[in-house]
Amino acid sequence: MNIPIETTTLSNGLKVVVAPDITAPVVTVGVYYKIGFRLEPQGRSGFAHLFEHMMFQGSAHAPKMQHIKLINSSGGTLNGSTHYDVTNYFESVPSNALERVLWLEGDRMRALKVDDENLRNQRDVVKEEVRVNVLNQPYGGFPWLDLPPVAFRNWANAHNFYGDFADLDAASLADVQSFFKTYYAPNNAVLLILGDVKPDEGLALAKKYFGDIPAGAPPPFADPREPEQTEERRGEVEEKFGTLPAMAIGYTVPPRRTSEWYAMTLLDQALHGGRAGRMYRHLVLEKQVAVEVDGGIDDVFGYNGPTQMVTKILHKPEYSSDATLAEFDSVIREVQQNGISQDELDQLKVKFRSDYYSTLEGGRGGMPRYGLMHLLACFSLFDNEPQLVNSILDGFLTVRREDIQAVAKKYLRNDKRAIVFRRPPNTSAPSHVGAKEAA
Amino acid sequence: MATRAATEISSSVPPLSAERQVTWPKRTKARLANGLEVVLAESHTVPKFHGELFLRSGNAASIQRGPGLAEMTATVLRTGTAKRPSRQIEEDLRRLGADLSSHAGADNSAVAFAGLSELAEPLLQLVNELAREAAFPEPEFERERRQKLEEVKLDRTQPGFLASERLRKVLFGSHPYAQVAPTEQQVASYKRDDLLSIYRDFYTPQNALLLMVGDFDSASMLETVEKVFGGWSGNKPAISLSPEPGKPRGRRVHLVHVPGAVQTQILAGCHAITRKHPDWIKLGLTNSLYGGAFNSRLVMNIREDKGYTYSPRSSVNPLREYGYFSVSAAVRNDVVAASLTEIFYELDKLRALPVPEAELADARNYVSGVFSLGLATQDGLLSQLATVALNDLPDDYLETYREKVRALTPPDLLATARKYFDSANMQIVVVGDRTQIEPQAALFGDLEVYDAHGKHLS
Repeated sequence: MNIPIETTTLSNGLKVVVAPDITAPVVTVGVYYKIGFRLEPQGRSGFAHLFEHMMFQGSAHAPKMQHIKLINSSGGTLNGSTHYDVTNYFESVPSNALERVLWLEGDRMRALKVDDENLRNQRDVVKEEVRVNVLNQPYGGFPWLDLPPVAFRNWANAHNFYGDFADLDAASLADVQSFFKTYYAPNNAVLLILGDVKPDEGLALAKKYFGDIPAGAPPPFADPREPEQTEERRGEVEEKFGTLPAMAIGYTVPPRRTSEWYAMTLLDQALHGGRAGRMYRHLVLEKQVAVEVDGGIDDVFGYNGPTQMVTKILHKPEYSSDATLAEFDSVIREVQQNGISQDELDQLKVKFRSDYYSTLEGGRGGMPRYGLMHLLACFSLFDNEPQLVNSILDGFLTVRREDIQAVAKKYLRNDKRAIVFRRPPNTSAPSHVGAKEAA
Repeated sequence: MATRAATEISSSVPPLSAERQVTWPKRTKARLANGLEVVLAESHTVPKFHGELFLRSGNAASIQRGPGLAEMTATVLRTGTAKRPSRQIEEDLRRLGADLSSHAGADNSAVAFAGLSELAEPLLQLVNELAREAAFPEPEFERERRQKLEEVKLDRTQPGFLASERLRKVLFGSHPYAQVAPTEQQVASYKRDDLLSIYRDFYTPQNALLLMVGDFDSASMLETVEKVFGGWSGNKPAISLSPEPGKPRGRRVHLVHVPGAVQTQILAGCHAITRKHPDWIKLGLTNSLYGGAFNSRLVMNIREDKGYTYSPRSSVNPLREYGYFSVSAAVRNDVVAASLTEIFYELDKLRALPVPEAELADARNYVSGVFSLGLATQDGLLSQLATVALNDLPDDYLETYREKVRALTPPDLLATARKYFDSANMQIVVVGDRTQIEPQAALFGDLEVYDAHGKHLS
């Protein structure tokens, strides 16, 4: 692979990555800050995400709605999203609006300008976001909000990332300003310009609009490490609306970019890769215990702390949770005992490579190059090595069968996992007497 | 003000620089001797390609045989062919680095696929097998049928599904578009023979359109397509005429009662037009200004000003025979009436007053700009080309779209809003807990209450 990339670091510490591609006259701009919901302040659950909303509420020279209005009226789309370890802001526009987009992003990195009314408004909006995505939806928040408090012991990894409403209510304008000063400094960010731009032009514009923003003090980061897990952890959450019992099983994965991590990622594909994946095949197609099975390591390149490979199962009510879990366990046992065949490994590698190309090209709501932007940003902020987009694939393509079996044995252990059961009130507890056993 | 500015930069917005020409890629269009229509376009962004085989018949055309049967046929289609059992199909797809899905909507059935350019021919061979030699193995059919039973139960727990199901019923009455999903009883009575007869009738080259976009040479790809699909045969299915939907008159409220709901899903709609209608582009722009963009009046009002909702939006929904306009928002239970008031206020304002020229210019730029973002990805381009081909739009539709948008004036939009934002006859669906929202909802028209299964409650 040879995606052309130009990089630099401005004197204020802002990393800049330009990836030119003149195929179409559009350009995608992203600004990533190295702060997500994992390391938001204690007592302020949900704050990183609420803050992301505040970044659209006004900056020094672009008052509320100006940012959105200017992007839309330039023929572009925009959004932002909060992740475990990064928060991003991005725009895709016809390339004649590039300078305008950089001016806007520079303006809000320089000076956020928001008031109490903005904060009240966005707190209300965020609460409706939580209701529409979690509280008023069947299986809302399952399992991404259910599993962490069961699986992890460090508050950073275990708290409610969308935010308890009491914490959202307690958030003040002073919190907003201090979070901005601490984490939204140029030395804690990367600017990405992708598409119809010449590299030297992109770098010059970055300097023009971001170069004189003063650096901040190096931000303090809480230690996200977990104490060693020595026992299986289980939890239960009531399902208010859904008709089917569900469970999610998570195993913590090896640290990123280790040889075990490459092997684990392919093992994840062997287990969760669609209808050919072992979990779907066994639980849905063959044993017919489950109605839906999916999962895996979410956003495998995009996190920088403890994370899990999670299997989500919605199963038929006539099977007990125990019976369903026993079928799940048999899939795990099979791969631990017998590994995978060379043919299966070859298939996984072809599919992984193909998926990787698709990630680079698109990836979110049809926004061109979102995936490439995301990878470049994470490799810049976590590894200081954006060129990894051109080489990281090799690490997966050299995984051997024995590597996969070894990580299956080492990481897919009961004493290293967490399970959350999500049950409608009228369905069975795990050891329901008389429930059907899977044949 | 949180600031780290030591010095000031320019406080004024940089102007737009000169626009670079948008060039839509050349399309290669062909019709094979067996009637299969083929559209190819090159896009060399990554060494992959995206394709979709459309059959121009879907759940509306199969409704006499059973609601949702075209979807069920598409679902079971991938579970076996004369040559390959289910497991081999899934493994072969993985071996080819490919993704494949098969679905049916109201008007079309489709097999969508994407894979590596270097392995295009074997993937096309598999698609060809699915289109011509699907075996519908009895055990696979039975498994998928039982699976579908659970899925239709699950659908009825989702506020968004319940809202759109009720709105389609209200707007389309006895027309097949009224039914968006089968009932449990209907799924229980599916027969494998029904699927076979739909497969025989719908999956023919004369009823099909093959679209491909990606990293290939069009001339040699066309040869491959001819080689792979050339031997397929079959005629157009007979077209069954559907009754015209009666257009509901008078604003009415349809409440779907979900006990314990902590939010209310609002979905209001009225009949509009299809993509073939000469007013389509005008309505698209008017919709964008009303609630189709972040920077639209509705979003500004009920999200950014009042904080009633996270994701308000309006859309124009074109089905092949009829289209409808709708507006949706999931709102706090205590602001259902307040939200509906603003939803209608903004609709009626667009019907009453011309849009200021500056606001219209912004909306024109938005609609024409995001249209060309679709050019930059293979699947974005595929969906644009599918829109043109499936609606029999003119060949220059993509090239002329932007100039048509840019020619629209405030009087055009006023006339369009008056014609299609039929606020007096809007049908209002609210999905929520009646004990919390019924008196608010009843302010907006005669109210009927249903449960999640469509049973009339009052």
